Amino acid sequence: MFDLLYLGFGEIFRFDILLIIFVGVIFGVIAGLIPGFTVAMAIVLTLPLTFGMDPVTGIAAMIGVFVGGMSGGLISAALLGIPGTPSSVATTFDAYPMAKNGKPGKALSIGIWASFLSSIISLFILVTIAPQISQLALKFGPWEMFALICLALTIIASVTGESILKGLIAGLFGLLISTIGADPIMGFARFTFDLNVLRAGIPFLVVLIGMFAISRLMTSLERTERQKSFEEKQKENATEVSFVLKPIQTLKTVLRKPGTLVGSSVIGSIIGAIPGAGGSIANIIAYDQAKKWSKDPKKFGTGCEEGVVASEAGNNSTVGGDLIPTVALGIPGSAVTAVLLSALMVHGITPGPLLIVDEPGIVGGIFVAFFIASFGMLITQFIGMRYFVKVTQVPTHLLVPIILVLCVIGAFVLNNRVTDLYILFAMGVIGYLFTKFKFALAPVIIGVILGPIVEVNLRRALMTNPDWTLFLTRPISVTFLVLTVISILFTVWQTRRSNQRLKA
Amino acid sequence: MSLYYPFHKEATTLGEIIMGLLLILLSLLIYTHSDDLPSMNESQLDAGSFPQIIAILLGILSLLLVLTKTIKLIKERQAQDESPKSIKKALIDLYQEHKLVLLILSVLFIYIVLVQVIGFIISSIAFMIVTALIIGPKTKKDIILISSIAVILTVGLYMFFQEILKVRFPTGLFF
Repeated sequence: MFDLLYLGFGEIFRFDILLIIFVGVIFGVIAGLIPGFTVAMAIVLTLPLTFGMDPVTGIAAMIGVFVGGMSGGLISAALLGIPGTPSSVATTFDAYPMAKNGKPGKALSIGIWASFLSSIISLFILVTIAPQISQLALKFGPWEMFALICLALTIIASVTGESILKGLIAGLFGLLISTIGADPIMGFARFTFDLNVLRAGIPFLVVLIGMFAISRLMTSLERTERQKSFEEKQKENATEVSFVLKPIQTLKTVLRKPGTLVGSSVIGSIIGAIPGAGGSIANIIAYDQAKKWSKDPKKFGTGCEEGVVASEAGNNSTVGGDLIPTVALGIPGSAVTAVLLSALMVHGITPGPLLIVDEPGIVGGIFVAFFIASFGMLITQFIGMRYFVKVTQVPTHLLVPIILVLCVIGAFVLNNRVTDLYILFAMGVIGYLFTKFKFALAPVIIGVILGPIVEVNLRRALMTNPDWTLFLTRPISVTFLVLTVISILFTVWQTRRSNQRLKA
Repeated sequence: MSLYYPFHKEATTLGEIIMGLLLILLSLLIYTHSDDLPSMNESQLDAGSFPQIIAILLGILSLLLVLTKTIKLIKERQAQDESPKSIKKALIDLYQEHKLVLLILSVLFIYIVLVQVIGFIISSIAFMIVTALIIGPKTKKDIILISSIAVILTVGLYMFFQEILKVRFPTGLFF
């Protein structure tokens, strides 16, 4: 574990990389606080810019954006009561009342410290756990990998979106998209329907840009959405806040609540590690748990310190958790880590259980970049807060065209193919329809990235031994498959129960 | 959303059914096409088998979705006491809600086509200005602001990718 960190420090401690991480953090914070501009979008748009860098630098830049973005939502949540990203919904419950009670500086400072400290705690969890898991996963044969990915996909399907049925459909749709193009073992072109566009397959990143950026922008153009954002703007203009940040004093306040801080960070890390579940869920669950365990739950929602600590610690610690399966198994838990993995692939590095053994420098670099980015976030938030507040006022009519052009450039630069732009357009439309009818997008994305891996493992398993019952007789494989079935049944049962409760 | 509440709810369910049907169609398409793929060996999975499995699963689940949503739609229809609002009015409402989305998507498509014809720089600048003016206010100040942003951003990105990353952008037919 320490040699990984040692290697990582060696990789990251170069002036240019440190600078790039800082720039990434600033970009992330800005992305996080503009309503309608999500962290996933920011990461997707950063990727093309990192193509010219070496892998460690590129990854470090993206981790900077990730960490910054998770904390960026705090600003608009605290000052305006509007979550800048879905991950800061619970932050508005206590940080906003606190700011309204005349302590906006305190709310922001507590939030920043909670974000920072929880990131460090989740980093600690990441560094201790990830190598163990990958050690274990090294013993996996294709049977176990196949079963594991099945489990991951069903979990994603059950935690995101409206119903597990739609989640599974979305995941299968993603798998199906991934089968277009060359078959991963023999190289036959599949499902090209004689269209040249499809011969090379559908590039993962183009799907990602289309689904996460273009479809989100289209949603923001709907009439009801525009009315909502117009009302928010009015609110923003009405509140001219002046505040004083008190870093040292509030650090003491946060440290006086070690239970809330550590508890929420652990919850955030665990939720982050579950595929599909991320900051938006952790933010609310951590807040809820802090309220349950508190001696005085009534003060939650009135602007209490624990509430701010719990919600911000909850969402920022998902970063570390999210990286656990990504680094240890090559299974991304969210769109953001999916981009990280594809960035590795662009540089010719194959993610998977072997990553820690084969590329210890990269893994150590990821850990240390996360550490540095947390510090970067702390410093930029405390120094730059005054300027960040002004950025929330970027109007939609400027944001949409700029980001659309960035999407088109990003999709083009990836392979230098104009035909990819048509795929981008199609994916944007499909993604928009999916969101419109409440199919979650995360399962599609994870399906696309895991599709080739699951297919290769399935076929390799049957090539090694044509006996398919091996999936059910190998102990680890059967455990994963049983868990897969249980996770589906459990979710179905849960929805039934809550539906009945609604009726009663 | 409360503006056209009963119809909107119905329209969503209807949309879900259509999505389900489209997905079933896709599964059928993939399933039948998988048969044409070359197969190497009887005992192993060949190139077409994995997509076939996925297509079957997707088809079954989509069918399930279509069935449950159809039942829901019928129930909703029955539960409605009053006669539905005039469909024409509801459709206009639906169109109003999504007018900008359709417009911007069409402009985006034209932009993508134009990138090949008149090159990256001109089409990007034009696209940004047109989109901003469709969405936002059309005062002189706004036109100047968005035009300068469009020019600076496009040229900046062009230089960055061309010079540093050695990406060659389409220049179009004229250059």
